[in-house]
Amino acid sequence: MIAIRGLTKSVPIPNASIRERRFILRDVSFSVPSGCLYGLIGPGAAGKSVVLKMIAGLMKPDAGNVVVDGDDVTELSELKLQSVRLKLGMLFQNNALFDYLTVGDNIAFPLRRLYHLPEDEVQSRVLERLACVSLQGFEDRMPSGLSGGQKKRVGVARATVTKAPIVLYDEPAAGLDPVTSQKIFELLREEQRASGATVIMVSSDLDRLLTVTDRVGMMYRGELIFDGSTEEARASDEPRVRQFVHGLTEGPL
Amino acid sequence: MAVQVSSQSPGPGAGPAPGAIAKRAETLFGAVGGAVLSLAETAGGMGVLFGRVVARLFPPQIDRNELRRNLYKMAVKSLPIVIVTALFTGAIMVIQAAPLVKRFNAEGLLGWAAGFGTLREIAPLLTALMISGRVGANNTAELGTMVVTEQVDALRALAIDPVTFLILPRFLSIVITLFVMTLYADILALLGAAYTGLALLKVEPVSFYNSVTAGLLGIGDVTNGLVKSVVFGFVIAISSCHFGLATTGGAPGVGRAVNACVVASATGIFLLDYLVSFIVK
Repeated sequence: MIAIRGLTKSVPIPNASIRERRFILRDVSFSVPSGCLYGLIGPGAAGKSVVLKMIAGLMKPDAGNVVVDGDDVTELSELKLQSVRLKLGMLFQNNALFDYLTVGDNIAFPLRRLYHLPEDEVQSRVLERLACVSLQGFEDRMPSGLSGGQKKRVGVARATVTKAPIVLYDEPAAGLDPVTSQKIFELLREEQRASGATVIMVSSDLDRLLTVTDRVGMMYRGELIFDGSTEEARASDEPRVRQFVHGLTEGPL
Repeated sequence: MAVQVSSQSPGPGAGPAPGAIAKRAETLFGAVGGAVLSLAETAGGMGVLFGRVVARLFPPQIDRNELRRNLYKMAVKSLPIVIVTALFTGAIMVIQAAPLVKRFNAEGLLGWAAGFGTLREIAPLLTALMISGRVGANNTAELGTMVVTEQVDALRALAIDPVTFLILPRFLSIVITLFVMTLYADILALLGAAYTGLALLKVEPVSFYNSVTAGLLGIGDVTNGLVKSVVFGFVIAISSCHFGLATTGGAPGVGRAVNACVVASATGIFLLDYLVSFIVK
């Protein structure tokens, strides 16, 4: 269970007075029940990635808290946060692959560093993950030699290799062709159902995202303007939600 | 036609309006305050990072693979530039001393003349500046790139402490590299000096060696330089790691961080060289 209450974050405005600040999150509250696949949608710079980073304890809010399975991550020190992060898998918007490691070593990294598994088991799990994201035979390639979509798929493989009970995906299908994108969404959904993991997924690919989510939240300019089931999102009368979900060009956005 | 002048308008000889003075003062205080805050932030950041590194040494939590990888990258790959720098440094010391040595027929003191400044000052200082430019700048660029591409955040999200995994091995590697490279530089600089003495002054290397070991130079001269190398290693390590981790603003931010690291390292090296020279006799 992830419970977010009143998250607020502001940053200084460059070349402005020290008192002038820009809000990137303003009183954001929502909950994600255990085993739920929650989609976080919204236009660019709405604060979606910031929310994911705060759930992982990578950023501290100015106010509010994030409770992950009973632990308030906003109150924990960096060392104590490690026990919470062991429950997390995370895909970053820019993939964040370690560029000095091969694809295989990137995926194996958490298994070797955190779980100290036997090498044959590490290798079999790496190959299984690569097969899931259709990258068989890529284990010895370096990230610098991959396309954007391939990097994204390696990121997905690394985020899921530990079979963490909570997984955060920031744009899992960005840069992928429609077929691969659909495959990735279906794969992530199947794995979530099989493992019962709690998943929060940020994506701009609404057509596909809304086919797999249980609940949806929409953010706009740092505020959560909608929180409900996927069906409620599709049927919403809120003008901004309606325009965004249905991809209308006319409207308040 | 008469023009009515407002009683509030400044006369022809009046200075700037009080509002303008206040605005200028605010700008001046803002600039000074900003600079002081920035300096305090940098010094504080370095202090906190150093504290975190030291905390990971008790008990030692060192990733041996990372330490080995960094030692190879920083020390082994720096050998060519250290060899070239040291050989020519020794040669230059002899070239500078040559006219006086000839004038006073002091060939027997050539080893001391070249060795004293080399061991105590020139070898550690030039090696530190070379390592700062090659290793320190590279370290900042690598860490800065890892920060702006979210690789450091990815480590944290994987429950891996970046200070233990990334910073501690780099910190130790830089300090060890500088110590070992200074030792090499001492030997190579004396070698360069000896053979330049042979070429320019016809001083046999054996005579040169005898004048180095005759008693005018002692182990204290070598130790002095090596103590400096460790201090310089700390400066380069903490500076390059701090500016790397503090990088913001994408690729241009990495460039700014490297620049700040090189300037801060060089300044720190000269400042601490003065202090160590003063304290360690």
